[in-house]
Amino acid sequence: MTDYQLLIQRYDPEHDNEPRLQRFTVPGDHTTSVLDALLYVQQKRDVTLGLRWSCRMAICGSCGVMVNGIPKLGCKTFLRDYHSDITIEPLAHFAVEKDLIVDMTQFLAHLSAIKPYLINDYSGTALHKQTPTQLAKYQQFSNCINCGLCYSACPQFGLNPEFLGPAAITLAQRYNLDSRDNGKAARMPQLNGKNGAWGCTFVGFCSDVCPKQLDPAAAVNQAKVESAKDFIISMFKP
Amino acid sequence: MSSPKRSDEPVWWALFSAGGVCFAVFLPGSILALGILWPLGLLNSSVLQYAQLLSLLQSGYGLTGLAFTGAVICLPLFHAAHRIHHGLHDLKCGYSSATKLLCYGLAAALSMLALYLTLHLILAD
Repeated sequence: MTDYQLLIQRYDPEHDNEPRLQRFTVPGDHTTSVLDALLYVQQKRDVTLGLRWSCRMAICGSCGVMVNGIPKLGCKTFLRDYHSDITIEPLAHFAVEKDLIVDMTQFLAHLSAIKPYLINDYSGTALHKQTPTQLAKYQQFSNCINCGLCYSACPQFGLNPEFLGPAAITLAQRYNLDSRDNGKAARMPQLNGKNGAWGCTFVGFCSDVCPKQLDPAAAVNQAKVESAKDFIISMFKP
Repeated sequence: MSSPKRSDEPVWWALFSAGGVCFAVFLPGSILALGILWPLGLLNSSVLQYAQLLSLLQSGYGLTGLAFTGAVICLPLFHAAHRIHHGLHDLKCGYSSATKLLCYGLAAALSMLALYLTLHLILAD
């Protein structure tokens, strides 16, 4: 076992005027994740530490935190990869509710704004058939776990919280590219606005931090091409 | 959420993209030939004689000259203007419709000047 030094950001809006860093020493080996360390602190050192977590296997997307300033899933990040103090803060660009818990309301509003569900007038009971080629068009973008790391990585979302953001635009692409869906016309107005695909300046850090390697930056750039096509088509419509 | 207003960004983004391609493909060659090899005397001087260059620019009813100016000056200007405009936003430094007008207006004005001078040269004799 090795002793690791964790600096955890604490903030309780009922008592604190501003956030502060609190140092904890946590024992760990090569299998200890940041989430394991946070749960150790909560269970053995300070029961009031607030954090969000659930599955411990990078599926639920709940345990996103900033580790030394980089957005990471706590369960997928290991203490063995750090050799000095490990600073753990709540996800950047979100309002902090308590300690490491952030308010995801705006993120969820952006997700729902792009109508993230199949839109079609199909009412039969027969199964939709889809070829492997049709599936391959959107499958990569359908693996999003809504962890919000890409929003913490995105400087444009940091500057302008109205920007739809990487995950929402990726989700729009996911449905627009689905052969079973006819809802593109309903989604394009959101993407066409200045806070849609055009709020992105292709920094690309969203793709670097995505724990599922979705490449949201590619989805956003595809959405720009779609929006540009939509722009040209709209010029020829009465 | 209500339907947001359609952004005019596709126009600027298309010019930015086209300018980016020109920046990557045409400018390095032009800089190498005209900015480095020629001044160093490494190019066969007969290749860059005025008369020969002029006839090259005039070929295809002058479209070659206009296309060269467009690819090496006009589109890269719009590329740079777009970068500067969005850079101002990133730096939280005066990003507004005024800076947009200034950036793209300057790119448009300098493009017109470059095309005018090229046309002037092509039609000179």
